[in-house]
Amino acid sequence: MVSSSLFGTALAVARKDLRVEWRTKTAFISSLVFAVLVLAVLYFARDKTSVGDYDLAPGALWVTFTFAGMLGLNRAFLLERENHALDGLRLTPISPTALFLGKIAGNLVFLGVVELVSLPLFILFYDVPIWRQLPTLMAVVALATIGYVAVGTLLSAMVVRTRFSEVMLPVLLLPFLVPPIVSAVQLTWRILALRPLSEMTGWLSLLAAFDIIFFTLSLLLFEAILVE
Amino acid sequence: MGIALVGLAGIYVRALMFTPIERTQGPAQKIFYVHAPVAWAALLAFSVCGLLSLLYLVMRDRKFDLMAAASAEVGTALAVVMLTTGPLWGKPIWGTWWTWDARLTSTLFTFLLFVGYLVLRNALTDFEMRARFSAVLGVMALVLVPFIHVTVYWFRTLHPDPVVLKPDAPSLPSVMLVTLLSSFAVCTVLYIGLVMQRYALAVLQDVREEEAAGGIS
Amino acid sequence: MASSEPAVRVHEVSRRFGYRWVVRNVSMDVASGEAVMLVGGNGAGKTTLLRVMAGLLKAHKGRIDYRGMVGMVAHHTMMYDALTARENLVFFGRLHGLRDDGRADRLLERLGLGHVSGERIATFSRGMLQRLAIARALLHEPDVLLLDEPLTGLDDAASQIVLAVIAELKARGAALLIATHQLIELTSVTARVGYMVSGRLAALEPLPGPDAGAIVSRYRELVASGV
Repeated sequence: MVSSSLFGTALAVARKDLRVEWRTKTAFISSLVFAVLVLAVLYFARDKTSVGDYDLAPGALWVTFTFAGMLGLNRAFLLERENHALDGLRLTPISPTALFLGKIAGNLVFLGVVELVSLPLFILFYDVPIWRQLPTLMAVVALATIGYVAVGTLLSAMVVRTRFSEVMLPVLLLPFLVPPIVSAVQLTWRILALRPLSEMTGWLSLLAAFDIIFFTLSLLLFEAILVE
Repeated sequence: MGIALVGLAGIYVRALMFTPIERTQGPAQKIFYVHAPVAWAALLAFSVCGLLSLLYLVMRDRKFDLMAAASAEVGTALAVVMLTTGPLWGKPIWGTWWTWDARLTSTLFTFLLFVGYLVLRNALTDFEMRARFSAVLGVMALVLVPFIHVTVYWFRTLHPDPVVLKPDAPSLPSVMLVTLLSSFAVCTVLYIGLVMQRYALAVLQDVREEEAAGGIS
Repeated sequence: MASSEPAVRVHEVSRRFGYRWVVRNVSMDVASGEAVMLVGGNGAGKTTLLRVMAGLLKAHKGRIDYRGMVGMVAHHTMMYDALTARENLVFFGRLHGLRDDGRADRLLERLGLGHVSGERIATFSRGMLQRLAIARALLHEPDVLLLDEPLTGLDDAASQIVLAVIAELKARGAALLIATHQLIELTSVTARVGYMVSGRLAALEPLPGPDAGAIVSRYRELVASGV
């Protein structure tokens, strides 16, 4: 009973966030256009005779996701700051856990859609015909995105209460992205090079460990951010 | 604090005058007597900051917040020394100012992490909110640092193997070892001294602000 | 009308922001079926007191005991511009654990917003937003309702609706605490006035008279005496 209402409430929060996003579409379209731009710009930011598409592609993909995601994360709690909606939430008996899970779910869907749309573009732009490896790549994307979004959601809840929140989020968040993004780049590189799975287990387990530990930690620490 | 400063001067004299020049590395190796102990003290400072942050979240006592902040500030200053002396040593020995070696990279990220911590503190005006938010970040950072280290370590590493804490006999001649170990001790005392000074200052500021604002009644 | 058992009891509550104490040692009771007016200049601590009572801010000293649930109407709507009036209410109702059973529509109707329930609130006027905020606060039928400047920015027609709702809630046994500068309008529904002077509740006493002037002169008297 308790758990079903926990997830039910979280779902309501996520649906509300996505509905608001669907109405305005500003952040979504910005993130998407931004992703396409970064992919395109990075393609030209090299010497094509010495750096091949396959060498450039993994880094380009993850730089794109990292910065496109940042735009979406900032939006999630700015929304609650507008009209002090967060106070409205806190006047209800919603648990911090449910609120945080809802926010994470909303952000995951947001970033997931941005990634889903930019992934085919990436394959086309960088001419890496890896359609057969796409499920593996998507699994890696999902793993890296979970850790990213968990930490990002927690930190964005903090920075929206400060001045200059748009600048502050990248400064605080980027160090936390070193493990997931480096792992993801390593894994993407191996996937593109058609390496066997045995060469990936190390990075995969690092990614999984990061997800589990930081998801739990963020969930535990969120309450300390919410109470005033 | 005074002991630490005298000790620091002593270490310089000993390192420069009385410790023999290492055969393969030449005089540049002497930077090592500053670099490694400072690196140790910086790492200690950041770990202490993380642990104090955790303590703050559990106990909600402002003392821990002020101490954590003091430790982070001192650690950041020490990290600057470490990140300057490192390249100075690296240039003659490795032939390059900077390499993306594992330990170098992870200290750089750790340093940036704590710069972020200080930036966050600076951006918050209400001290209670500042204490809570920075404690959350401090705990997150404490858990993150090992992750960063593993991550960058899996890239190949260039750093000299540990020379003191090896299971068999230390590979440094004992004269150098004494210099190095006493330098470690001095840097630790220096760190503790600086944190105590900084913390005392923070407490004084706190008391003064409290008086200026007046009490409840 | 008022029962003897208080619906909310504030016990020596203090709250600070940074180093400054904004609410100092406030104690008060509000009984069920009673409406108390809270007056005081800007920065006297009215809003902070209400926010502490609503549980939005922690009390740094003292405690608050309730019987039943609390609702609050603040300066801000606490709702989402991109959603319609109805969507906002249904969402907040859901967080209160309520089913979408027409309660939102009834409240919108009651507050004269039935005809715009399907419109995004970004297009609403100040008066409409304020009434919608009251609807949101009433979703879970609170036993204690805290209102921060409920009449500010409302025209006469909207004020009448809000005052009627306040009277109705009182009759139904809710305890109300209303921070306000609109003294005249509210004298008809309140019996006691709390005067806040620099964070302290300088006095909490029966309405000195039906006209606003008496409240103002009593307030000035308290400020001058420097309690």
